[in-house]
Amino acid sequence: MSSKLAGVLAALTLLVAACGSGTGNTPRGGSSAAPGSAATIEVGSLYEPQNLDNIAGGGQGVTEAFNGNVYEGLFRLTDAGKVENLLAESYKVADDGLTYTFKLRQGVRFHSGKALTAADVTNSIERVLAEDSQSARKSNLKVIKSVTAPDDATAVVELSSRSISLVYNLSYVWIVNAAAKDLTTAADGTGPYRLGAWKRGSTLSLAPFSGYWGPRPANGGVVFHYFTEATALNNALLTGAVDIVTSQQSPDALSQFTGNPDYKIGEGHSTTKLLLAFNDRRAPFDKPQVRRAVAAAIDDAKLLESVWAGHGSLIGSMVPPTDPWYEDLTSLDRHDVEQAKRDLAAAGYAQGFRFTLDTPNYDPHPTAATFIKGELAKVGITVDINVITADEWYTKVYKNRDFAATMQEHVNDRDVVWYGDPGFYWGYDDEQVTAWVAEAERAKTTEEQTALLKKANRRIAENAASDWIYLYPQIVVASSALSGYPVNGLNSQFYAYGIKKG
Amino acid sequence: MRGRLTFAAGCALVGLVLAVALVSLVWLPYDPADTTGGRLAPPGGAHLLGTDKLGRDLLTQLMAGARTALIAGIGSVLVGGLLGVTGGLLAGFATRWLDDALSAALDIVIAFPTLLLAMLVAAAREASLGSVVLAIGLGMSAIVARLTRVLVKRVLAQDYITAARTSGTSWPRIVAEHVLPNIWPMLLVNLALQLGLAVLAEAALSYLGLGPPPPNASWGRLLQEAQATVLTAPTGAIAPGVLLVVLVVGTNLVADGLRDLADPTRRRSR
Repeated sequence: MSSKLAGVLAALTLLVAACGSGTGNTPRGGSSAAPGSAATIEVGSLYEPQNLDNIAGGGQGVTEAFNGNVYEGLFRLTDAGKVENLLAESYKVADDGLTYTFKLRQGVRFHSGKALTAADVTNSIERVLAEDSQSARKSNLKVIKSVTAPDDATAVVELSSRSISLVYNLSYVWIVNAAAKDLTTAADGTGPYRLGAWKRGSTLSLAPFSGYWGPRPANGGVVFHYFTEATALNNALLTGAVDIVTSQQSPDALSQFTGNPDYKIGEGHSTTKLLLAFNDRRAPFDKPQVRRAVAAAIDDAKLLESVWAGHGSLIGSMVPPTDPWYEDLTSLDRHDVEQAKRDLAAAGYAQGFRFTLDTPNYDPHPTAATFIKGELAKVGITVDINVITADEWYTKVYKNRDFAATMQEHVNDRDVVWYGDPGFYWGYDDEQVTAWVAEAERAKTTEEQTALLKKANRRIAENAASDWIYLYPQIVVASSALSGYPVNGLNSQFYAYGIKKG
Repeated sequence: MRGRLTFAAGCALVGLVLAVALVSLVWLPYDPADTTGGRLAPPGGAHLLGTDKLGRDLLTQLMAGARTALIAGIGSVLVGGLLGVTGGLLAGFATRWLDDALSAALDIVIAFPTLLLAMLVAAAREASLGSVVLAIGLGMSAIVARLTRVLVKRVLAQDYITAARTSGTSWPRIVAEHVLPNIWPMLLVNLALQLGLAVLAEAALSYLGLGPPPPNASWGRLLQEAQATVLTAPTGAIAPGVLLVVLVVGTNLVADGLRDLADPTRRRSR
């Protein structure tokens, strides 16, 4: 009898120990932490970095955790979409627009203690442009001919042609310590936080950097908790394990938080667009008429309602409302089944056709593909849905361009310029658009740039270069004790230094 | 007596799902692609079980999903049974070294989780119902083969086999007249159990997005799709779950009943 009791006790002890170690990995937020500037902010996210370097394929997770928090650029893209000086105190542009001279902020130190010099800036720009760099922004910076450092406080960038977006583009370039070794597992930036610990598959913590040049963060540190599944993430918010969720991916989870005084729901502007991207090189999608017919046959509003239940908005082209060259073009993409049938007949496909739709296996793509299949069946087009993983998408669609049409979400702002690149995966080849995009980049004023990109945006919409289904909403749910967090999350950035608890 | 009851209850449950699948071939409440139902309509008049996010009728999806579940289950058992029994017979009759090699190979395949094996097959081929059947069938065949091998060995050790051998009966006739009649009841019980597991495996693969691609209805994918809306529209998650339970419990009861009915020693003890 007593031995049985001992056994039960031993089992219980083991169980308790197991529970203890379980919670040890996920420090509790909210209630237990002290209020005020010492409190740690627990952030819940679905985007764990692949590694810690944004030029080595770290993914959107590393941008979310590190941009502006651990690493700073010469410039900062604010949550409102403005570009302001950061590590550059001021800059001068030569009259020909080909030479930019940046004066660096003084008294800036890296987390390792080394002072920031112009050599770090030249090194940081060069590493983005390097052969093995996987930075998505590399092509935007190709106009850079040389970067030099005439003295420790000055960096000079020479361009091969005018680039009005240079300053904006530099907001993505992390200034890293030139002496730093492997940045995929460690970090050495100038930001208000230094990297604490990264427990793969679980958490990444940031601790305030005492030697920071600017104002101290409003909190005592940040811990990113990574989840692979939205329901688990929301449960963590409900139980107080996290204080804020960077972006909600399902409207149905919101009902748990609406009307609850413990939570605040914020809806900001997103730049994420859901695309049905055609392979514009290949029949039948090489004909604008066919693409327009497909776009007209799909009831975008109904799909948006299905997926987002009243959140999000329709867009008629690639440019989201937060870009300076936005224009409401929804009138160019009206749902009109009869028109679609007429267009198909005129293009020689009165009997319809059949194509394979490569569909990433994560939400909302399979749902959207199912819906599109149903819509296109009404005009005689048969869709075969081919579900693939994100990796397969990258190889098959993005690299090898081996596809007829694909579903994909495009998260970046100011990305309409990709339609000016015939080599991009969707292969939209339009001399006029290519010329306008190139001209816009060489423009002398932002007005000129805006006017040209508006023309390009309208032209791709008229030619239905892709079908822009809808613009995602950006929904942030946070504990009501929290304030000062970003609501727009442009380009997946998440500035944490302003967040206050209590 | 109890065996007969269990068997009848199992048959009733499996028969129910089978009937639903058969009916779905000729009649469905709505077109499976019909999205006019409105987002997440609650159960009621027009839609008995409500609708999903896209406004498709849930009952329609469930009925069509019954087909997928049964095809996956029965198809896998056919593939697994055919391969497994053949492999098991070979191993059972084989010479020492071949038997050892086959057994080792079977142990390795069995050590692989069926789901992982299925994921490999689904990744190598494209995701389709055929891939699912092949994948689950392959995983199952190792288990069936090992059982068959043991059963064959047991029969071959009997005196009447030695008698048959010495009287000059050929091996094929021994298999057909002595081995198979003695091992089939046990095999049938095992295959019935495997049917339930195969249905579950198909649901799991579809849940992971490795099953037949949308819009082919599958209970596993219905569960996955309903996951985000489980609090607002619980029917979407409960209904496919209940059907899975009905079918799997049904096949297990059939297996139990078959064992009781087929095993003479059990029958005598009652």
